[in-house]
Amino acid sequence: MANITKKVSWSSRGDESGAAGEETPLLNGSEQSRPLRQMSSGSTVFQIGRLSTVDLEEEITTEEDSARGRPKEIPHNEKLLSLKFESLDYDNIENQLFLEEERRMSFMAFRCLEISRWVICGLIGFLTGLIACFIDIAVEQLAGLKYKLIKENIVKFTEAGGLSISLLLWAALNSFCVMFGAIIVAFFEPIAAGSGIPQIKCFLNGVKIPRVVRLKTLVVKVVGVIFSVVGGLAVGKEGPMIHSGAVLAAGVSQGRSTSLKRDFKIFEYFRRDTEKRDFVSAGAAAGVSAAFGAPVGGVLFSLEEGASFWNQMLTWRIFFASMISTFTLNFFLSIYHNKPGDLSNPGLINFGRFESEAMEYNLYEIPLFIAMGAIGGGLGAFFNFLNYWLTIFRIRYVHRPCLQVMEAMLVAAVTATVAFVMIYFSTDCQPLGPDHTEEYPLQLFCADGEYNSMATTFFNTPERSVRSLFHNPTGTYNALTLGLFTLTYFFLACWTYGLAVSAGVFIPSLLIGAAWGRLCGILLASTTSTASLWTDPGKYALIGAAAQLGGIVRMTLSLTVIMVEATGNVTYGLPIMLVLMTAKIVGDYFQEGLYDLHIKLGSVPFLHWEAPATSHWLTAREVMSSPVTCLNRIEKVGTIVDTLSNTSTNHNGFPVVVQVSGDDEPAKLCGLILRSQLIVLLKHKVFVELARSRLTQRKLQLKDFRDAYPRFPPIQSIHVSQDERECMMDLTEFMNPTPYTVPQDTSLPRVFKLFRALGLRHLVVVDDDNRVVGLVTRKDLARYHVGKHGLEELHLAQT
Amino acid sequence: MSLHRYELGFLLIILNIYSLGLIDAVNVTASDSAANPLQAPGYQSHGSSAVVSSPVYKPAVDSSYSINLLSSFPEDVEISEYCSELLRLFGQRYVAYVNCLIPAARPVRVCQNCSPWYNSLSEVFVNISSDQLGPGNVSCRDSILRSDRLMLVFLLYGNLDTIWEKSNCEKCVTKDFKGPNNDTLYYLTLLNQTITCFEKYKEGNHTELCKNCKNTYKELNDLYSGMEKNSTLCIDLEDSMNMTRKLWSKDFGCSYIGGETIPVIAVSSFILFLPIIFYLSSFLHSEQKKRKLIHPKRAKSHNSLMNIQDKQS
Repeated sequence: MANITKKVSWSSRGDESGAAGEETPLLNGSEQSRPLRQMSSGSTVFQIGRLSTVDLEEEITTEEDSARGRPKEIPHNEKLLSLKFESLDYDNIENQLFLEEERRMSFMAFRCLEISRWVICGLIGFLTGLIACFIDIAVEQLAGLKYKLIKENIVKFTEAGGLSISLLLWAALNSFCVMFGAIIVAFFEPIAAGSGIPQIKCFLNGVKIPRVVRLKTLVVKVVGVIFSVVGGLAVGKEGPMIHSGAVLAAGVSQGRSTSLKRDFKIFEYFRRDTEKRDFVSAGAAAGVSAAFGAPVGGVLFSLEEGASFWNQMLTWRIFFASMISTFTLNFFLSIYHNKPGDLSNPGLINFGRFESEAMEYNLYEIPLFIAMGAIGGGLGAFFNFLNYWLTIFRIRYVHRPCLQVMEAMLVAAVTATVAFVMIYFSTDCQPLGPDHTEEYPLQLFCADGEYNSMATTFFNTPERSVRSLFHNPTGTYNALTLGLFTLTYFFLACWTYGLAVSAGVFIPSLLIGAAWGRLCGILLASTTSTASLWTDPGKYALIGAAAQLGGIVRMTLSLTVIMVEATGNVTYGLPIMLVLMTAKIVGDYFQEGLYDLHIKLGSVPFLHWEAPATSHWLTAREVMSSPVTCLNRIEKVGTIVDTLSNTSTNHNGFPVVVQVSGDDEPAKLCGLILRSQLIVLLKHKVFVELARSRLTQRKLQLKDFRDAYPRFPPIQSIHVSQDERECMMDLTEFMNPTPYTVPQDTSLPRVFKLFRALGLRHLVVVDDDNRVVGLVTRKDLARYHVGKHGLEELHLAQT
Repeated sequence: MSLHRYELGFLLIILNIYSLGLIDAVNVTASDSAANPLQAPGYQSHGSSAVVSSPVYKPAVDSSYSINLLSSFPEDVEISEYCSELLRLFGQRYVAYVNCLIPAARPVRVCQNCSPWYNSLSEVFVNISSDQLGPGNVSCRDSILRSDRLMLVFLLYGNLDTIWEKSNCEKCVTKDFKGPNNDTLYYLTLLNQTITCFEKYKEGNHTELCKNCKNTYKELNDLYSGMEKNSTLCIDLEDSMNMTRKLWSKDFGCSYIGGETIPVIAVSSFILFLPIIFYLSSFLHSEQKKRKLIHPKRAKSHNSLMNIQDKQS
């Protein structure tokens, strides 16, 4: 057996650790494990400046006293990092077990692994497509039922009088649906709230969001989104598709479901974070692809929003999953529409085809498009600003589940009421078209044979409204209708996002944008005398939709491709791209994108692409946590149990050290071991004494660790008797013998780059003699950000 | 006026192909339109007689006098007797159908009046386009329809066929195209009743009309909606219903029922008021969620201080 003694070090300095002796004496490790102390480095956000080192010290001494006394409590704000989020282990643990297993595997086994990766991606695509299909059909059926009921009621009461009853019925039906959707989210799985894109973004960034890829989350998400769309909220079903795809991917790739307690004994090799991450990015791509009928857009979405870790083969596999997903949806929808085999129904939202001559654009329209992009960016920033304050209010005050359900119901009722009032007082009547693009035309007070134009925008599922805004012929809507609609829907959508319902923001954004875009088109047509140039407001609706969506979510690359694919017209590539660029530039000037905002408000330690600017003067010494709780290579079980049980410090990685000589000499680093590994070891009672007494004991394999993944039992559930506490544990075989280390003087951006590029979870800071001086984790890095006053530090908080 | 213009247009096209067979029809229309000098689309003309005798059209009118670029073809390339007979028949019926269609354009009566004509026209076309060999083992499909780039007969028929398709007439007429089917007849009776009712009360106050004709109108409207759902409507019915509805709602102003704005406003303002109460109460009564700050373990600061001093020195 090769004894790995190589150390990976990022310094040029000496890293010769004391050679890990084969016959390390059984030392009592309790002396070496450092006492756990809490140190304060200031409890308010303070500015870190080059010259503030002296002040820093003073501040610490003054605040230490108050901080020691009782933990300080502050209201929730965006400048916090939550303790509950942990990192995922994207770094492979190359311990001896791993090496052994790899040696045992034949060439064929590796080929099989590759093939099974493809099979899994195919499965992910297929199942995601199926889910999308299910959601689509369920929404269509239920919404159809609801609108039919309300329409009959309105028709009845238009003549007889008593439309207020129809209003009440509409509001009640909406509230009821939303109540159901909100109850399952608020009481059963709060993580399923919202679009799920921020969560998946965090997951792919390497943050372990609790319960985000569970089966239960998937069920709640899917059922929740059906009810919130049927409930008439200003939401779409596209965002949740991305989350659903990701959950499916995480589930399928593991070959088992811990929730259902079923293990299919397949794909066991993929039971670790690294492999799971790759599949989750495929799942997210498949979700996008199913939602918009945009396979390439899906891949690029994964690239842009998610995957920090990327290679060609993975991209190709993800593309495969996306393609399968969109065509599965296609195929099953074609059966549903009684046209089996007709594969021209891609995507949950179908923008329809922009191919007619009137949809052509000309060079002189480009500046107009760019101006619209600027408007979209401004409006998007305003949307995010409002939503930011609303979300803070919600986190602070509306945090009880029953309150959240009530809030969602109220929003549903108000949405219905606003829609009804708008329809009621609208005098915009349009003749019924021959081809009946309107699913549920409402006549109300219009002349016979005409329908209320406002009703086509409100009295419809949002997807259909978007499509009719894109494609209805000129003159279908008048300017006042569109203006009022934009205004009300803007506030409704802003109010709705962040409720405890599972729902996305894509469609409402598109709808707002399409409405004001069409309005722009109409106004342009009315200002110019040469009306023929500006005939079709549909293309302005499209540009407006792109601008608004870009202004809110600030995606660029993937959104361009998604829009181009969803419209099926490559010639719109340039204007959409320009519009999205403008929208992002203008929007970023005021406020962050909606998803980033929510990640921040969720106190997630998210690592962006780059370290914050002006942080080169910070070194690993200032960044790291210190002192570090270390374990000896041969450690007493009692010490391990105590360390793990300490609730105040929920550490996850422990540098393993070895004593070179005397007691006073500090120990040198020889490896890194994770909490999860220790727990598995304790559970299987891999103690030195037991191994000696029972020679036949089965050797622990990597499989035992995989079986416990991903829900390692808490330390409290593992019983260790008093006798066993005196036993010793040999960690040599299980620890990662070559953890990444940096010297103390490494700058923050350098540390950051390592972390981000390698997907690290722990980075050990060592001194010249390879002694552990500190440990850098995700939260240590994520706390720095550039604020209004330069570099600021976020606080750690218990949430 | 416009009717005549199109008629003339059609005729001119026809004149181009059929020389002698169409002389009768030409005479009829020529004398007809000679009374109303018209502007044919696309070129100046001074009455149709002038058109007929203009040099451009002369060859078509009088084949004996033609100066074709090519003189006549050998026997086997010319179309057979049978086919030219079919062609002649096609022309006659074509003109007949068009003649029927144009006066029926407004108000739309194309299905009720012209369906038999369409039927006879399509019969001929079926004969022409069938691949069965006629007498003398010739297929007219190839010689008439596909011999040249223009494929005139096909185009002409295609035009009328589109009109027929668009008008949805087959929904309203019997299987043999002889007349309106039962549904349509029933609808027409109801329509007549309604119109009669309208006529009766048209004078004076419209409220009287609204009250008295409501039942028939409603019956008609419901029938129409039912037929709409079954998609058994043709353009005639759609048009007549449109006109009736327009009379009813716009001219007589019978459909407006309103005046219960106050309850709607009351109910909606109540609902709109609820969120304000909700947010106020949750702001006032719900305890604010506080976050406990955790103080991370950090290296002793003198280290960093020394460090920076080292660097500076």
